[in-house]
Amino acid sequence: MAYRGGGGHGHPHSAALNVSPRSLPTCRTHTHSICMVSDFFYPNMGGVESHIYQLSQCLIERGHKVIIVTHAYGNRKGIRYLTNGLKVYYLPLKVMYNQSTATTLFHSLPLLRYIFVRERVTIIHSHSSFSAMAHDALFHAKTMGLQTVFTDHSLFGFADVSSVLTNKLLTVSLCDTNHIICVSYTSKENTVLRAALNPEIVSVIPNAVDPTDFTPDPFRRHDSIITIVVVSRLVYRKGTDLLSGIIPELCQKYPDLNFIIGGEGPKRIILEEVRERYQLHDRVRLLGALEHKDVRNVLVQGHIFLNTSLTEAFCMAIVEAASCGLQVVSTRVGGIPEVLPENLIILCEPSVKSLCEGLEKAISQLKSGTLPAPENVHNIVKTFYTWRNVAERTEKVYDRVAGEAVLPMDRRLDRLISHCGPVTGCIFALLAVFNFLFLMFLRWMTPDSFIDVAMDATGPKGAWTYPHPYGRKQGDNNEVSQVR
Amino acid sequence: MEDKMSFFDICGGRLALQRRYYSPSCREFCVSSPRLSLRLLTVVTCTVWLAAYGLFTLCENSMILSAAIFVTLLGLLGYLHFVKIDQETLLIIDSLGIQMTSSYASGKESTTFIEMGKVKDVIINEAIYMKVIYYLCILLKDPGEPDGISQVVPVFQMEIMKFRQIKNCLLSSCFAQFTGWAVGLVRDSFQEGPMRPEPRPF
Repeated sequence: MAYRGGGGHGHPHSAALNVSPRSLPTCRTHTHSICMVSDFFYPNMGGVESHIYQLSQCLIERGHKVIIVTHAYGNRKGIRYLTNGLKVYYLPLKVMYNQSTATTLFHSLPLLRYIFVRERVTIIHSHSSFSAMAHDALFHAKTMGLQTVFTDHSLFGFADVSSVLTNKLLTVSLCDTNHIICVSYTSKENTVLRAALNPEIVSVIPNAVDPTDFTPDPFRRHDSIITIVVVSRLVYRKGTDLLSGIIPELCQKYPDLNFIIGGEGPKRIILEEVRERYQLHDRVRLLGALEHKDVRNVLVQGHIFLNTSLTEAFCMAIVEAASCGLQVVSTRVGGIPEVLPENLIILCEPSVKSLCEGLEKAISQLKSGTLPAPENVHNIVKTFYTWRNVAERTEKVYDRVAGEAVLPMDRRLDRLISHCGPVTGCIFALLAVFNFLFLMFLRWMTPDSFIDVAMDATGPKGAWTYPHPYGRKQGDNNEVSQVR
Repeated sequence: MEDKMSFFDICGGRLALQRRYYSPSCREFCVSSPRLSLRLLTVVTCTVWLAAYGLFTLCENSMILSAAIFVTLLGLLGYLHFVKIDQETLLIIDSLGIQMTSSYASGKESTTFIEMGKVKDVIINEAIYMKVIYYLCILLKDPGEPDGISQVVPVFQMEIMKFRQIKNCLLSSCFAQFTGWAVGLVRDSFQEGPMRPEPRPF
């Protein structure tokens, strides 16, 4: 029984090493191997999490290979597979504050490097500027010479100490990143100013909603009364204080007006006080925390959707409401004016007086019957924001980034020193050098060729698409038959 | 019938795999790693002793030197007796069960036997263990519920092999009867149901 010995065994492996998208131009010209990195992923809930999940699913559908790297959430650690073979690494890193991991810029390098190498990742896509892991991954990826993309999901201020510090960090982190994606033009402006970026490398790709989840149902609402729906976290940022001023004013003016408020938060107590003081228990319903799947059932009970946010990069809630056929009244802040066309939204200044005027306008339109039918509104809105469209546009960013060169070490150091100010620039240039030396050490300890290539779950050759992946993959059977 | 092969593990070390087929239903697999290398031993001993001499010159207490000797000796004994596995053997008799024997460098042997009736499936799993590794493991049936898994038993604890080797050399020949598995993609039993992105409390 002759079997290829140790020497012969190097061959299949080194052949596997070269399987990068560029060496197989016939079958993988436009497919990328993407690694999404963020501290925020399921089981944590929120906009960033659903963005990563939906985007990954649509990219897999388009034939790319996608993996997600996040930190361990309690008992959920190790490697998990989600629908369509989406592989998620839950790394055992310590969580420091608000589900964000601690950063030392170095301790995550061994694991991340191991994952990037074994998965043959070509593009690192980090999400959210609050996530330390995302910045770490960007830093390591640049040291390793991989292409980097960053998506910013939030708006920041410029004035207080914490935002000055985060802005500085963001400048450092983004100055040598290949491409940045923002969710709205306001957010782009904000990011470009904060991180002192060249606007040409910043793209705007909005978030999306699943229009099939948010369909109108006019029979669920009572036409004898007017219902205003508010769905948001009850926190200062979402303008709950404005809401508490609006409720008594409008309730006194219109006896047939009801409020439904979904959401939970520290400011709930104010709304309860208002309800108590003006005896509005039968007209103001506080539903408490809502699960995302229940949001639609709440939305369809109303005629008007009110959003009182004080700052917002891209407001998903108003798109969801418009998709359910509600007339939207919102504050004119952040990226909100670009989200919906003017005939579907009434924009007001963030003050009680202006919002009341906007609501009165909506109510009079509703009473005179000049509002468009919910079904028509839904049909218009459902074409605006779809995840497939988001994935398509993100893919264009990847295509562009894949053609760009990653900055070599010397130019990266130059960029850091010239771009980020003398002190910070020099510190981070030094750190980048240390990071590079650490990487050299790791490469010396375990060379890339020793690292096992991970089985491909998604992508064009993914195992997930086959009912029995075993025995069908890449002619591995030849070796077995040789042995027997 | 017998065959031998050798390959690299994921740390770059050399492993030898020996397969013996006694009869169609009975086969034995034996993975052996190289014996304790003199170089590693010298390096570790030298480092400990040099550190001890360094401390000795600082505080001039001869206790440190004797402590260093004890530490090296006990460490070596412990390493040989509890950590360093020279050889792991897997004996499979289709109708009876699976016997796993690991022999340590000191000569200690430990044997586990798993009845075939208890084996639910044999899969390759993936885990994060300082690095990300693939390992072969046996899933045991839960007597209480028919679909549940009571325990996951790793096979070949010491030797960390590459996916292709586990799959081609071990799984395809030694556990040929378990063909329903897939690495990490054991959808029905091992994976939590696919998550839907719905819940988002406000």
